[in-house]
Amino acid sequence: MKWFPSFGSQRRNRELQEEIEAHLQMAIADRVARGETEEAARHAAAREFGNIALVQDVTRQMWGGGNWFEQLGRDLRYALRQLRKNPGFSITATAMLAVAICANSTVFSWIDGTMLRPIPGARDAGELVSLQRGERNFSPVPPLSYLDYRDLREQNHTLAGILAYHHDWITLTGGAQPERVFIANVSANYFDVLGIKPMLGRFFLAEEETKPSVPNVVLSYSLWKTRYAEDRAIVGKSIEIARHPLTVIGVAPEGVVGAMPGLRDDLWVTLDPLGTDPWRMTHRSGGAVWLNVIGRLRPGVSRGQAAQDLDSVMHNIVAAYPNDHLGANQITLDPMWRSPFGANGYMAATLPVLLAFAAVVLLLTCANVATLTLVRFVSRRRELAIRQSLGANRIQLVWQMVLEGMVLSIVAGAVALGLTSWTSKTFAWFLPASSILNGSMDHNVVIGIAVSSLLAGMLCGALPAWRSSHAPAIEVLKAESASISGGSRNRKLLSGLVVAQIALSLPLLICSGLFLRTLRNLASANPGFEQDHILTATVGLNIAGYSHDEVQLIRHKILDRVSALPGVKVASFTDWIPMTLGHKGEDAYPEGYVPHPHESLQVYHAEVAPRYFESLHIPILEGREFTPDDDEKAPRVLIVDQTAARRYWPGQDPLGKNLRIWGRLFTVVGVARNSTHMFVNESPEPMVYMSFFQEGYETIVQVETEGNPVDLAPAVENTIHQIDTRLPVFEVRPMRESTQMASIFAVIQSTLAGMFALIGLVLAVTGIYGVVAYRTQMRTHEIGVRMALGASRVDVLRLVLSQGVWLTGVGLALGLAFALVLTRLIARLLYGIGANDPVTVASVITLLGAMSLAACYLPAHRAMRRNPVKAIREL
Amino acid sequence: MNEKDHYKNRIELLQGTLDMLILQTLQWGPQHGYGIVQALRLQTGDVLQVETGSLYPALHRLERQGWVQSEWKQSDSKQKARYYRITAKGKKQLASDLDRWEQIVEAIGSVMYVKPKESAS
Repeated sequence: MKWFPSFGSQRRNRELQEEIEAHLQMAIADRVARGETEEAARHAAAREFGNIALVQDVTRQMWGGGNWFEQLGRDLRYALRQLRKNPGFSITATAMLAVAICANSTVFSWIDGTMLRPIPGARDAGELVSLQRGERNFSPVPPLSYLDYRDLREQNHTLAGILAYHHDWITLTGGAQPERVFIANVSANYFDVLGIKPMLGRFFLAEEETKPSVPNVVLSYSLWKTRYAEDRAIVGKSIEIARHPLTVIGVAPEGVVGAMPGLRDDLWVTLDPLGTDPWRMTHRSGGAVWLNVIGRLRPGVSRGQAAQDLDSVMHNIVAAYPNDHLGANQITLDPMWRSPFGANGYMAATLPVLLAFAAVVLLLTCANVATLTLVRFVSRRRELAIRQSLGANRIQLVWQMVLEGMVLSIVAGAVALGLTSWTSKTFAWFLPASSILNGSMDHNVVIGIAVSSLLAGMLCGALPAWRSSHAPAIEVLKAESASISGGSRNRKLLSGLVVAQIALSLPLLICSGLFLRTLRNLASANPGFEQDHILTATVGLNIAGYSHDEVQLIRHKILDRVSALPGVKVASFTDWIPMTLGHKGEDAYPEGYVPHPHESLQVYHAEVAPRYFESLHIPILEGREFTPDDDEKAPRVLIVDQTAARRYWPGQDPLGKNLRIWGRLFTVVGVARNSTHMFVNESPEPMVYMSFFQEGYETIVQVETEGNPVDLAPAVENTIHQIDTRLPVFEVRPMRESTQMASIFAVIQSTLAGMFALIGLVLAVTGIYGVVAYRTQMRTHEIGVRMALGASRVDVLRLVLSQGVWLTGVGLALGLAFALVLTRLIARLLYGIGANDPVTVASVITLLGAMSLAACYLPAHRAMRRNPVKAIREL
Repeated sequence: MNEKDHYKNRIELLQGTLDMLILQTLQWGPQHGYGIVQALRLQTGDVLQVETGSLYPALHRLERQGWVQSEWKQSDSKQKARYYRITAKGKKQLASDLDRWEQIVEAIGSVMYVKPKESAS
């Protein structure tokens, strides 16, 4: 047992070095004694001795003993020495691997920061499920009324807890300047189910849930910090929200932002803290369906079992209150990472696809690095043969080479780690500034990087090593110059690697081409309304605590004064802006219409003021637009869009027909042309427009301008403030800016896919160039002989080019097959273009083929220019 | 892996012979690596040139085996060098190597120099 192995080995290393040094000195001395000059003697002795490092290494192996750790250290040192000897290779390979790993870890950090951490601060988010009622929908509205929620909570057998919340915004008054904040009305068990403990004070008690007039509020950490200056004595104090006093009972811990992925809550209150909305607490339909619901599975219960359980409870509820539950009612559950409520629905559709692309890039890079490694191993075959003849078996040789690959990939992983700590944050670049979403760098990402770099190391090192180590030692030692390209095995492997690179880059290019054209189609698509000369400004009127009459008065004042501004063509109100990832939905019961079984009766709705359609250039096809007379005293009226008209009254005149919403009757007075609601590529949902002065809730001023809408923004804001300085005005921006929300994910997809495809193209082209150039160089002698025997330059060109064409052709064919599979994955993310769009496919094939051929032409051209006599001599 | 077994399994012509040659050279007195190369070269009339890449591993292995011992000494030309000396165990090994070598030579010789049998007819 050696107590100080490293100590001993250091001494032995030093001794070995001295021993070799002595050997050289004596050899030099002898030569000098024989009359050689000092200089010549030194050179000759060194040459005679051979590769000092190699001798040291094989000698060290004879010491044996030591532990595996020392052995590993020796192998590692040897690997490092080999890599240092070849800085060009080492740096290129490391850089390529680092970029490829970084591509993966960046996308993964985005997934990690969003989908994998859907509810920041929540315990065991994997147990949480998001509930949906009725037809499954990509952007559903809140599924349950309070009473339905309570029945599900009390009668289910599969959930450890089930919470309900409603996300909204409101104005913090009481300070110098009113401030818009995001608020959630939550069930009392909200924080319990999420597994969050208060940082200060307490959260809600069960008995406070239904008791009206319990004006308690819980603050978020960020609000506590920014507005209340981290006042640790805040608990028990009163703050003013929309001009009502509420008592602070607690502060949530840092980072907790609420249960809807991607949205931020600043405050939490109970479901009806002021007792002002008893309807919502006591009804099961008619505006009372307002709660989002998240459940926590009991241990050992699967999502499917829970869904079945809840569905059967829901079935009983529907049977008991059929009139409140017309349409579809089945319950489905989603894991939070793909919950359709909030941002994760969009993330889940986009990010995994991008991760798949990044994985392809990594594979491609491994193929490229493996090519380089193989070429390098072929040139190291003499060293390998010596080691083999000295007793290293193939496993040891392969291990040594795998180790070299590992060292490269670990360094690359470390570089990628550094890069990712920055690139993970770039996700926010794509999103509106107010978004709280971003990538995150945590242990998951670090593990991901470690795993991908180890895998990459194996792929880059093991494959070529195993192949190279097959070469019989004797042959290699004997034949310094013959069979120089390293045997047909290596040739086949090299060809395979080049083919793989082309085959992997083709689908990347095709997908990115499809994404780019989708983005162009989206941008040029006509949404059915004017976007260019429209300015919108949100006024926090209904949330600021004004009385109903005050609100109506202020609204009319705003409309009058904004209309009078120079540069304003038309001013109007709305309470919804299209293409901003949000919509309002409600169940509607058209008179005389018999729904199909399980047909959803949900319609989109928006409340718009007179001249809304005029300012957006949406034609009214039949009937009339709203007028100022459609106010609260007049009968309720509706304008429907074509989709609604066709669905509910096919072949009939919709004018004068009635629809029941919230238990009230509305009469159709007009039909508007269809326009885009959420996404350009949506399937049209029925839309009903109500009169703003009858049903309007939020107040958004919408202005059609003569010139650039941005120029008018300050004037509009000032005008509103002149009416009441305490009116919060926010999100004053051109329509174009708002509607860009709808194409955020198309932009993310095409940007990343484009970058990945570019990397793929560069790798594939350099890969084929490298291999063809290397092979041509190895065949210099043969080409010289051929030329000496009368082959023309064109023959030489054809000889070299033909192998490039062959490799490219096979690669393209395989890549096309691969692309057909991959494009199917992205088919539903495309717009205005088929997944196998022939133009895109043909142009990508042409591009890749042409670049590959150009890459082959360079070495061919060089070979053709060679002087045959020189070439023969050169070997 | 047990180095000893490994070694035994690998007595091949080249390696076994080199060990024997080194031990034989050391019979005449302690010598350093460079001296061994020179001695072998002189004695074989430049026919055998031992590569350093084989010599040093062999020397260190022999030392581990306990067949030679090494110490640092000044050479005649004031060069400090590592001298290897054959041990008693090494001498025994040399004898058995030599035995084996002679057997091999004899065996090979009996194949190579066999006189054609007088044909019976």
